[in-house]
Amino acid sequence: MSTADTRQGLHVENLEVAYNGVPAVRGISFEVNAGEAIGLIGPNGAGKSSTLLAIMGATPRSGLVTVHGNDISGLAPEKVVRTGLALVPEGRHVFTELSVMDNLRLGAVARRDKSSYKEALEHVLDLFPILRDFGHRHAGLLSGGQQQQLAIGRALMSDPDILMLDEPSLGLSPTAVDTVFEALDVVRKAGKAVLIVEQRAEFTIAFSDRTYVLHDGVITLSLKPEDAENVEVLTEAYFG
Amino acid sequence: MNQLIQSLVDAISAGAVLGLAALAIGLVFGVIRLANFATGEIITAAAYSLILTWDLGWYISIPISIIVAVLISLLMELAVFSRMRNHGPATLLIASFGLSFLLQRVYELIFGNNVRTAPIASGLAQSIDIGGIRVQMLSVTTIVLAAVLLIALQLFLTKTSLGLQLKAAAADFKTARLVGIPAGRVIGLSFALSGILAAAVAFVLTVQSGAVGPNFGVRITILALIGAVIGGIDKISGSLAGGFLVGFVTSMLASWLPQDLTNFKDAFVFVLVIGVLLFKPSGLLIKGRGVVRT
Repeated sequence: MSTADTRQGLHVENLEVAYNGVPAVRGISFEVNAGEAIGLIGPNGAGKSSTLLAIMGATPRSGLVTVHGNDISGLAPEKVVRTGLALVPEGRHVFTELSVMDNLRLGAVARRDKSSYKEALEHVLDLFPILRDFGHRHAGLLSGGQQQQLAIGRALMSDPDILMLDEPSLGLSPTAVDTVFEALDVVRKAGKAVLIVEQRAEFTIAFSDRTYVLHDGVITLSLKPEDAENVEVLTEAYFG
Repeated sequence: MNQLIQSLVDAISAGAVLGLAALAIGLVFGVIRLANFATGEIITAAAYSLILTWDLGWYISIPISIIVAVLISLLMELAVFSRMRNHGPATLLIASFGLSFLLQRVYELIFGNNVRTAPIASGLAQSIDIGGIRVQMLSVTTIVLAAVLLIALQLFLTKTSLGLQLKAAAADFKTARLVGIPAGRVIGLSFALSGILAAAVAFVLTVQSGAVGPNFGVRITILALIGAVIGGIDKISGSLAGGFLVGFVTSMLASWLPQDLTNFKDAFVFVLVIGVLLFKPSGLLIKGRGVVRT
């Protein structure tokens, strides 16, 4: 990892992803700073998930990605996590045969400061009290909303500076979505950067400080929270 | 009645050995989707180590065989499989076939085509009387050895951070890496544990036969692979259960089939396997059609 500059947060410049020569992301650039929530919305196949996986080093890409000014190009996902990035993957992907506590314990494998493990665990359990109640239950027995809380809690256990979430509201009840976004607000207010990929545009635009619209791998619009209720803007965002 | 109990003990023992061998394969498969056919050659190397060093005393010979098995297992990963990380399971499987044949020829070059013999733990070949029923010491030892290893493995997988990491990686390798679990560490660990299990299998088989040749580990590996698949190679417990089942059934068939049919016992086992795979293609312990992973 070489030092590129002194900027803080996540900086993505000219990111490109292709699968078997077919481009999925075509040279997008954006930044996410501390205490900021950034949304990335767009229809299916727009390149949203590919962007997150590319940032994590889980799929081949070109372009520059820096975390706190450090170029993370070429790093394997497990090393990217150690730079201060964490991803809550689409579909939650909790380890269903392990207990809730074991899932959280695994989230801490990449912690840079191992000595603060207990405080971090308490913080996550305060944020999502249901995880404390079901600590010894197999993660596979939790509801979708509870699994999402666990997936976010697991990501937070690595003490990330930048938390990325891929479709956190997917398949959740409205109440569960509220719980998740309330927790994300706490995370943002604690000074962490949050990058959310979503298909639910209104929710994301209202929550985020800035929301980028992705179409065919290109950022076509940048929206502010007040655009959340502007039907014209939303239509433009989704149908071009 | 006595004969039934004796054959049950022998069958449980045979199931335990095959269960351990299937587990050795399943542990690695869970992490990198490699059904390592060359596990047989790890077993053979451990068996040769026992035969060649037994005169030094069991307390030296057994650790040497474990170390050799672990080293060969890790060497396979470093020299061959790690270079094919981005290839699919089919490529890895073919590579493991190639490695298996290559190592068999290497053993032939080093040790010759004839079997090497030594009276390994000959005391275990005796029978003992338990409540009026005569059972082989080796069968009892095998069951105890398998139980101890399984309990130790279970404690390792559930009580230690490294074990949890391995368990998580075996369940969902891609997510495990995204969580921060180092790929190299868990892959190496799976190969090392596979080597230890292979050494245990080698010990039991070497005591049973007292002779080792270049193809020593091939038959048990084929049966263990079959066991792992019918149990559900996607799950560590599936491999173990499937291996146990194949070993158990094979042994029971050997005991109870009419004399003129015992030579065909493997054929009966394969009929069972085909039957299981027709109704549960993903394996007995996998719900639905199994996990599709990329």
